[in-house]
Amino acid sequence: MNVNDMNSEIVRVENVGKVYDDNGIPVNALHGINLTVAKRDFSVIAGPSGSGKTTLLNIVGTLDTPTSGNVFLDGENIADKKRRELADIRLKKIGFVFQAYNLNPVLSALENIEFTMMLRGIPSDERKRRGLALMEQLGIGELVNKRPNEMSGGQQQRVAVARAISNDPRLVLADEPTANLDSATAAKLLDLMEKLNHENGITFVFSSHDPQVIERAHRLLILKDGQIISDKKN
Amino acid sequence: MISKIAWRNILRNKRRSLILITSIVIGVVAAVLTDMFSTGMMEQMLTNQISADAGYIQIHKKGYQADPILENSMTDPQTVDNLLIAEKDSLDFSKRLRTFGLVSSAYNSSGVSIVGIIPDQEKKITTIWKHVATGTYLTSQENQVLISSAIAEKLHAGLGDKVVIMASRLDGSIGSEACRVVGIYETFDSGFDQTHIYIPLQIVEQMLSAQNKVSEFVIAPKNQKDVSGIVARLRLELDHSYEVMSYEDMLPLFVAQIKIYDSTMFILYLIIGIALLFGIINTMLMAVMERTHEFGVDMAVGMPNRKIFRMILVEAFFIGVIGTAIGMGISYVSYLEFASTGWNLAAFSESLKSFGAGTTIYPVFVMSSILLKVLIIPLATVAGAVYPAVRAVRLHPVEAIRAT
Ligand SMILES: Nc1ncnc2c1ncn2[C@@H]1O[C@H](COP(=O)(O)OP(=O)(O)OP(=O)(O)O)[C@@H](O)[C@H]1O
Ligand SMILES: [Mg+2]
Repeated sequence: MNVNDMNSEIVRVENVGKVYDDNGIPVNALHGINLTVAKRDFSVIAGPSGSGKTTLLNIVGTLDTPTSGNVFLDGENIADKKRRELADIRLKKIGFVFQAYNLNPVLSALENIEFTMMLRGIPSDERKRRGLALMEQLGIGELVNKRPNEMSGGQQQRVAVARAISNDPRLVLADEPTANLDSATAAKLLDLMEKLNHENGITFVFSSHDPQVIERAHRLLILKDGQIISDKKN
Repeated sequence: MISKIAWRNILRNKRRSLILITSIVIGVVAAVLTDMFSTGMMEQMLTNQISADAGYIQIHKKGYQADPILENSMTDPQTVDNLLIAEKDSLDFSKRLRTFGLVSSAYNSSGVSIVGIIPDQEKKITTIWKHVATGTYLTSQENQVLISSAIAEKLHAGLGDKVVIMASRLDGSIGSEACRVVGIYETFDSGFDQTHIYIPLQIVEQMLSAQNKVSEFVIAPKNQKDVSGIVARLRLELDHSYEVMSYEDMLPLFVAQIKIYDSTMFILYLIIGIALLFGIINTMLMAVMERTHEFGVDMAVGMPNRKIFRMILVEAFFIGVIGTAIGMGISYVSYLEFASTGWNLAAFSESLKSFGAGTTIYPVFVMSSILLKVLIIPLATVAGAVYPAVRAVRLHPVEAIRAT
């Protein structure tokens, strides 16, 4: 591996294993995972239910810690970080998009987007301006004052994408983002994320078994029983 | 924005917030009203004691307070008399000669404290004249007696009846006077009533062959705030053969009783407070645990634990402030309602009488105690949210997100 490769790599997963404790019974969710993700990549992790996709994304996203092995983000080993530092990494470098959207129900669409900017200490005026611009860019300008329960799933997911990228993250992790959407809406969402990948250079890693997602990905990894059984360019 | 989120979360589950706020309101109102009325009752008990008999200040011969017998009365009251006359711009005073003795009718007799008073002077110092229920107050220096309804009942004596009053003289012989009942009094304090009769000073002197003797000078400052100043002045002027006592010195049991009562109240508040605190902890815990999923998402998007912690405390603080404000509002309205009319406890009047407080209790507004509650209650609410907040930040983000 040459120096160039090192510089272009954002995620490195080294020999990661994860054992859950299910009421005293160890569950081997991941073992021997080795993986690097290049900057500006647009990859999908596919695999049957229970194969460990969510577990892997959570570990890469610093939400969970591996039982064995190491994860490097931008060359830094996350095992060395404190909880507070991990929160800061998530705030500044990583955006999450969940299958269930997970917007804050008491906040409007704009406020949900502003929320993560607020956590970074961006002043109110600038938050609003950037939030509105982002919503305009993503074609959800009309949702500004809507609360999550007043929006469709597709609308909520687009707001969730806006929230995920509001702090200019390096990496967006999306766990089955289209699973609750119809295919037309899913296609629009994918257009959006492709555009962000192209224009803003954001790295995307999906987990999905949605053929639409798999088709558009630049790289397809297949996970089975906690192991990567296939990894190829699409 | 944190406060906006906190506020919306309060509005989100209105029923639960209402329950929380209501329990705080009830706690505040209960604490404030109990405080106002118990302070009122205590002050009334004290002023009743002071105004019925003790007065604010007394001067005796040294040792009289400890052993109030005839032998311990002053033999040259003139010094004190002159001193007090010189102070007459700042105080009123009267003198008394009192002893223990027996009051008898044909039917029964009763051991009492016989108080010889100068009726006109006494009127300026104590309120016994106001408590005359039937008949009149002492009107002259004749052989008259003012007895309580309790004694009248015991002696089967009524207005106009003659009773015989007896007491031992200094030389050991027995002196006696027959006096006509001119008035029957009744104070708030049944214990006091059972043991006090009033007759003119001259008659007591005559009965005891104790001319020019005084047991106590009773002093009422024109301004109540001057008590300690006057006491200090008099102590300076008088030598060590006299004792100058404020009501606090004379009623030490009473002052101690008030202190004990205060600490009893404190324990009561503590119990109310702890019950309230556990209610808050429990309800806040429910509110927080219901939002487990949201906290998981907050953690995922990078919200640091301290901000999650603070958000929960801010929520509790708002609830505490709202509850305290409403509680104080209700307390104040009730205070205004009761301030002029008082709270009539006639239904319990018998037990209150032996307590010496009167049957109508007037609440007293104590600013410092109100301010203390205004500060403490919102903080206590916040304290009640600490454990739920700790539980929230201890959540594992992944498990929290999985929760529904
Ligand atoms: N908290 C947990 N405790 C115990 N076992 C768990 C836990 N989370 C996941 N597992 C197990 O780990 C394995 C991997 O789960 P994971 O959720 O990562 O799979 P997945 O590929 O995301 O599945 P799906 O497509 O259904 O979302 C499964 O066998 C699952 O039952
Ligand atoms: Mg999954």
